[in-house]
Amino acid sequence: MTAPLVVGAVAYSPNVVPIWEGMRDYFAETSTPMDFVLFSNYGRQVDALISGSLDLAWNTNLAWVRTVAQTNGACRALASRDTDLIFTTVFVARAGSGFTSLESLRGRRLVLGSRDSAQAAILPVHFLREAGLSEGDVNLTRIDSDVGKHGDTGRSELDALRAVLDDRADAAAIGINTWQAIGRGELLPGAFESFWTSPEYSHCTFTAMPSLAIERSDPWVANLLAMDWQNPQHRSIMEMEGLQAWVPPRLEGYASLVAAIREQGITARW
Amino acid sequence: MVTPSALVSPPPAEPSAMGVVLDLIEGIGRVPTGGTVTVELVHANRIAALDLVAAWCASSGNELVSVEGLTVTVLHGRSPDPLAGLDPAQLPGSRVWVYTNFDCNLACDYCCVRSSPKAERRAIGAERLQQIADEAAAAGVGELILTGGEPFLLNDLDALVNSCTDKLPTTLLTNGMLFRGARLERLRRMDRSRLTLQISVDSATPGIHDSHRGNGSWAKAVDGIRIAHDEGFRVKVAATLPADQMHELDPFHAFLDTIGISREDQVIRALAHRGVADSGIELTVDSLIPEVTITADGVYWHPVAADHDDQFVTRDIFPLADAIAEITRRFVAHRRAAERAAEWFPCA
Repeated sequence: MTAPLVVGAVAYSPNVVPIWEGMRDYFAETSTPMDFVLFSNYGRQVDALISGSLDLAWNTNLAWVRTVAQTNGACRALASRDTDLIFTTVFVARAGSGFTSLESLRGRRLVLGSRDSAQAAILPVHFLREAGLSEGDVNLTRIDSDVGKHGDTGRSELDALRAVLDDRADAAAIGINTWQAIGRGELLPGAFESFWTSPEYSHCTFTAMPSLAIERSDPWVANLLAMDWQNPQHRSIMEMEGLQAWVPPRLEGYASLVAAIREQGITARW
Repeated sequence: MVTPSALVSPPPAEPSAMGVVLDLIEGIGRVPTGGTVTVELVHANRIAALDLVAAWCASSGNELVSVEGLTVTVLHGRSPDPLAGLDPAQLPGSRVWVYTNFDCNLACDYCCVRSSPKAERRAIGAERLQQIADEAAAAGVGELILTGGEPFLLNDLDALVNSCTDKLPTTLLTNGMLFRGARLERLRRMDRSRLTLQISVDSATPGIHDSHRGNGSWAKAVDGIRIAHDEGFRVKVAATLPADQMHELDPFHAFLDTIGISREDQVIRALAHRGVADSGIELTVDSLIPEVTITADGVYWHPVAADHDDQFVTRDIFPLADAIAEITRRFVAHRRAAERAAEWFPCA
């Protein structure tokens, strides 16, 4: 029997266990069984991938870019969620605050999420820079909670929204997933509104080292992409993981994060 | 100086309510699907916050479980539909029981509704039974089951039964001991194609049966089965057995085979600790899948407790669909509460 592929994932929520048990059970019925190992942070997961303890790592966009940096581009991205290809950062403020663009943040208080969150910290600063705003032009507050998990828990973004509600900040930069979680401003129109949404970029992806043979990875990816939203057993796993389809990765979607990391001098490894 | 942001601030209740949602999102993220979180509404306008929490739950696929004072409990994800795992025949309202009367020619020592010759009749009456049959058919009920007391004590039983069989397949429970004279003539006027008789026999020999139901009752019941067969009726036999006799079923089934009762029509019921029974299994609304049951006094959870206040549901029999819906609603609530309790206790 084929040895199972060992996949690493970060335990950012208790649901990570049923998600990966569900994935393991799904793959047990295929020609490419898998097992999983959970990590407390992406740094240790990428270390394990590079050292050969893992066959695959379920990486955030930051973990992918850092793996690329540490392997001189030798690693491979195998597959992402459909939702990973259209990720965006949303700038939000109290309804009626009068923000109309990133430029209107000049001289105002912007709260960011954890420093290792691509969507809520690293990319927002990049988007400000693209809009002609340096860090000194905007009064930035950073909420570093759950550092190591690359913003997966969403906690720092919720804290950022609380800061806006409490008038400790004028605006917050959050991921589209958190914006959707609070109802996109439609649940309570008087509370938040978005005033700028970033271009789409790529988020998570399965990452492999060159040592994983194509003959092993391709059938596994084929089985992954065969998971079917219409199949109730697959669907329960996909709902928890936040996707409707597994898709090939979109590598050009990481360009903005690569640029942001270069601009901000973020190291390849913490 | 007034700052621009102060000029346009929304009313304070709304952000506070949104703060409750932020607490909720964070809490939900910390528990696995199926777990619950509680949030307090202390700093928020209660009504605004509750509205927002309900809207958030609806849009996010989570379930608002309970609101007690200022404490709101939310389930991560949606609880499974308690009705989904049931056999379709077990769904509330798939069949409806009606107690035609409570008086009886016997005084069985385990009767779950305390029927006897001295029991008050409390007849359902022709008019109400007609309306029950009409509304049951309209509500999608698949079968009516008439029981008592002993229905054959009623002088209008043929008309009662025919009002049911005109609408739905019907089963009539009887002790089978009264098929003589005018009562036999009433039986003969019933619709053989739509009516099944269910006759109570508790044992293969008279001993056990007669010890509960009275001397000579076994022989009369077995004779009643023969008469019903001769008259062309399908006959089911239902035995009520205490737990310690449940392992001695083979001789009983063999006996029923010999008197022409097909295996699918041989029903074994456990003795319930209800009515005048001094022992038997305990059955509560928490532990019992409901079977909509109607008596002259109203609607009950299950026929085994149609004389007990703890399983009384409503005095309003009509609209029957509403009564079925109410029992379904309570059943779902009981099941969900039990699931939450089951989830909670292992952690204690």
